[in-house]
Amino acid sequence: MLSYIIRRIIMAIPLLIGISILSFGIIHLAPGDPTALMMDPNIKPEDMEAYKEKYGLNDPPHIQYLKWVGNMIQGDFGQSLIRQGTDVSFLITERLPNTLFLMLVSTFLALIISIPFGILSARKPYTLTDYSVTFTSFLGLATPNFWFGLVLIMFLSVQLGWFPTGGIATLNEPFSLWDRIHHLILPALVLATADMAALTRYTRTSMLEVLKQDYIRTARAKGFKERKVVYKHGLRNGLIPVITIFGLLLPSFFAGTVIVEKIFNWPGIGLLFIDAAFQRDYPVIMAITVIAAVLTVIGNLIADILYAVFDPRIEY
Amino acid sequence: MEELLRVENLKTYFFDKKKTIKAVDGVDFAIKRGETVALVGESGCGKSMTSLSIMRLVPAPYGKIVEGEIHLEGKNLVRYTENEMCKIRGNDISMIFQEPMTSLNPVLTIGEQITEVITYHKRLPRKKAVQQAIELLKLVGIPRAESIISDYPHRLSGGMRQRVMIAMAMSCDPKLLIADEPTTALDVTIQAQILDLMKDLSKKVNTSILLITHDLGVVSELAERVIVMYAGQIVEQASVDDLFEEPLHPYTQGLVESVPDIDAEIGRLNPIKGNVPTPDQMPEGCRFAPRCTHAFDRCFKEEPQLLQKKYGTRTVRCFLYEDEEKGAEHARKDQYSHR
Ligand SMILES: Nc1ncnc2c1ncn2[C@@H]1O[C@H](COP(=O)(O)OP(=O)(O)O)[C@@H](O)[C@H]1O
Ligand code: SF4
Ligand SMILES: [Mg+2]
Repeated sequence: MLSYIIRRIIMAIPLLIGISILSFGIIHLAPGDPTALMMDPNIKPEDMEAYKEKYGLNDPPHIQYLKWVGNMIQGDFGQSLIRQGTDVSFLITERLPNTLFLMLVSTFLALIISIPFGILSARKPYTLTDYSVTFTSFLGLATPNFWFGLVLIMFLSVQLGWFPTGGIATLNEPFSLWDRIHHLILPALVLATADMAALTRYTRTSMLEVLKQDYIRTARAKGFKERKVVYKHGLRNGLIPVITIFGLLLPSFFAGTVIVEKIFNWPGIGLLFIDAAFQRDYPVIMAITVIAAVLTVIGNLIADILYAVFDPRIEY
Repeated sequence: MEELLRVENLKTYFFDKKKTIKAVDGVDFAIKRGETVALVGESGCGKSMTSLSIMRLVPAPYGKIVEGEIHLEGKNLVRYTENEMCKIRGNDISMIFQEPMTSLNPVLTIGEQITEVITYHKRLPRKKAVQQAIELLKLVGIPRAESIISDYPHRLSGGMRQRVMIAMAMSCDPKLLIADEPTTALDVTIQAQILDLMKDLSKKVNTSILLITHDLGVVSELAERVIVMYAGQIVEQASVDDLFEEPLHPYTQGLVESVPDIDAEIGRLNPIKGNVPTPDQMPEGCRFAPRCTHAFDRCFKEEPQLLQKKYGTRTVRCFLYEDEEKGAEHARKDQYSHR
């Protein structure tokens, strides 16, 4: 198992290099550069030159890229071009835990809601229960995240005042768990709904297929109650394809995080990313892109390992 | 011998969109304690549905037992609740299936799949159940039982998996073992081993076997009595010897003739011409009439009943035997004329 994990990590390296080159290239192709945005328009050309020289903006692109990668490997993502004197790595270590926390909670929410509903649907296919679950999933699938988030803020936060409109905690107050949870509920819910619909559908399809299998009939012939048949003999088989899908959904999950953090003003790397993108803060954009890529690769690695744990037929 | 199972007028239908499929249409038979009975007939005649009805495992919601009684030791299983049935399945009545490759759960170890039945029905502690599972695996002839127990099914061959299925099915000393085409998917050499194994084990604990097959060759190896089904109904019942010596129903005659004869100089295969009628196009009168070489006018208008008395232990569903003397004469003559 260990050698399998190591092999998978090594296989991920070229992927990461590719992603870093690509993101570096795309950002540099985009029109506009940070100097145009941040500088006093009346700055003297010499000062502008000095500034460009200082941050390496005059180097040819491949040198810029190599410098950046070299530093990054040492944990140095450079300094923000906009917030002068701030290390990118500082910005990220400050924000990343908030994002990971939001993602973990909403992943957990998505799984504990969608899997049971998927199973419920599969156990009673083509009944009112199934149709209701299906209808709700499609509704969820068709609803844009940002819109759903805004609607919730408008009704539950602004009009009813049940929830805060954004942020991670009430400002200037001592830490309280309830306050944190209170702030977390809406963003986690909105982020979870994006993948909940898809996960419910996949669980349903997968379980429907599993419940038709011969070994399920064998389990019934052993005299087990339906609950044991479904959960002991069906579920583990039914979740195998769902794990794969979950790995594939991770990138869209990141995209969702960016939007949700913006809407709820959640101080994570998604929010940092949007601000950086508008200001062409290259070092920040690229650091976050690389981190998102690494997290996706790690997520897929975890999915692969879970897959091997769940399915004894996989040789590794 | 004491009677163990009695099936009376069993009707199991499928309600498919607008049409009704009469998979089992009024079946009566009985199995004595320790007896091995074969249920034969072409594919689609309702053998599996008959056995799943006895287990009360007809695929819901489309399939349903609409009429009839199934008595196990005098208690009518059709009236049992699902919870009561759970105590019967795997315990008093167990079942093995045609597809050993897919009948075991791929994500659970062999050991787990056997011990879970033992702990569930016998309420044995896990350690004891594992011990018993190892004994069972040895009993069904699996080498290295102690290590196989922690292996997953995909490491075993089809024959080995069917042995595991048998070990599982026999783990609670069932009164009745239903084997639905247990050897159809296996190599010929392995078929014989599996049949022998079933025979040995059932003798040990006096288990009755309902052996379902479309292969009369298998029947003569194992069974004492044979029930022949055609299009959801029983058309003939007889002891194995009687049936092979003198098949009465024209359909049975066709089946017996289509068995490759090992003794004959040229092995020949004479499958019965024509197809089993589909449930939505059931012919009027005798269901076999369109394929029957003896059919006469009446066969196309009236349904023949099962005739019993005059043949003692045998029953047959055919007009030819209504007038016993003439009918028997007719059939015999005809059979010889084929040879
Ligand atoms: N799930 C099902 N839905 C509808 N009809 C079915 C289903 N399963 C079986 N049947 C019908 O029941 C009949 C008997 O099937 P079965 O008992 O499996 O036959 P056998 O085991 O003798 O080959 C078939 O002709 C088929 O039309
Ligand atoms: S009743 Fe008629 S058609 Fe049916 S089997 Fe007998 S002879 Fe053939
Ligand atoms: Mg069958």
